[in-house]
Amino acid sequence: MIPTLETDRLILRPTRLEDIPHEQAFYQTDRAAFVGGRMDPTLVWRAMAAGIGHWTLRGYGPFGVEEKATGIYCGHVGPWFPEGWPEPEISWTIMEAAEGRGIAYEAALASRAWAYETLGWTTAISLIDPDNTRSIALAERLGAVHDSDFTHVIYGPMQVWRHPSPETLT
Amino acid sequence: MTPHLTDTPVLETERLMLRIPRAEDFDRFRPFVMSDRARYVGGGADKSEGHAWRMLAIITGHWHLRGFGTFVAVDKATDQPIGSIGPWYPAGWPEHELGWTIWDPAYEGRGYAAEAVVRTRDYAFHDLGWETAVSYIAHGNDRSVALAERLGALRDDSAATPDADPTYVYRHPQPGGAA
Repeated sequence: MIPTLETDRLILRPTRLEDIPHEQAFYQTDRAAFVGGRMDPTLVWRAMAAGIGHWTLRGYGPFGVEEKATGIYCGHVGPWFPEGWPEPEISWTIMEAAEGRGIAYEAALASRAWAYETLGWTTAISLIDPDNTRSIALAERLGAVHDSDFTHVIYGPMQVWRHPSPETLT
Repeated sequence: MTPHLTDTPVLETERLMLRIPRAEDFDRFRPFVMSDRARYVGGGADKSEGHAWRMLAIITGHWHLRGFGTFVAVDKATDQPIGSIGPWYPAGWPEHELGWTIWDPAYEGRGYAAEAVVRTRDYAFHDLGWETAVSYIAHGNDRSVALAERLGALRDDSAATPDADPTYVYRHPQPGGAA
């Protein structure tokens, strides 16, 4: 089974069918510009299927993030390593309703700790669009540093932000 | 801690075992998707490895989201995964579909797809409770049209198609006999 993690304000759990309408709405807006751009709802469904299929194929994957107090779906955050990625990453995609409250930070921190402690990752990156200033700010807040660049065959140029290693965090 | 789908079905035919997708299937799936043999099902010689992996992840995730999905057919004699066969109902599909792909050309033309589709069709009707099933076949995919006809499916030009490339709808005969 896909594990469930808990933080002060959040539950990180498997994504499910009911999350998809929120993601479909998100991908109808320009807020999706840095995560592949606007996407047809049927393709968003497939993207969400790929996210949960990633768990079965890799043994880990992105979590659906839910706010405990309100039950709202905040987005998907966590380990992500599809074929074609340079290294396993900690990713985040946050819905509008959850923005600006440190939710992505809290979820990324919990999923990074889980990747280090449970999966035994010795390092982690986050791939960020060079123009995505909000995500760059979050990476910095997480202690990550911009250490190289990567060009994906479909998504184009991205910055590789490297997180602090498990040893430096303990 | 390995996350997995629980209680997923395993079906059997004379020559095949049908089960949910696994990570190791990618070795056989990848060359198929990255070849023109996959041009009618979302692949093609211009596709990347990442695209192929994502397709396998989508097929796998469909099981999580719907509780059913497409099986990987494994040759019992060699343990080799040879294709993906069976129930398919992603967003945007007007009806439940039975799909099929044979990954390795060496397994084409030997009745494996028909053997697997018949088993999964029976499963869809009896275990999933489907009342009807269609197969969406891209114009030009003559091999699949021939297979649909061999399976007793009839073209239903009144049925809705997914919003994609021009597609024929073949409706399968129901358990009672009528298409």
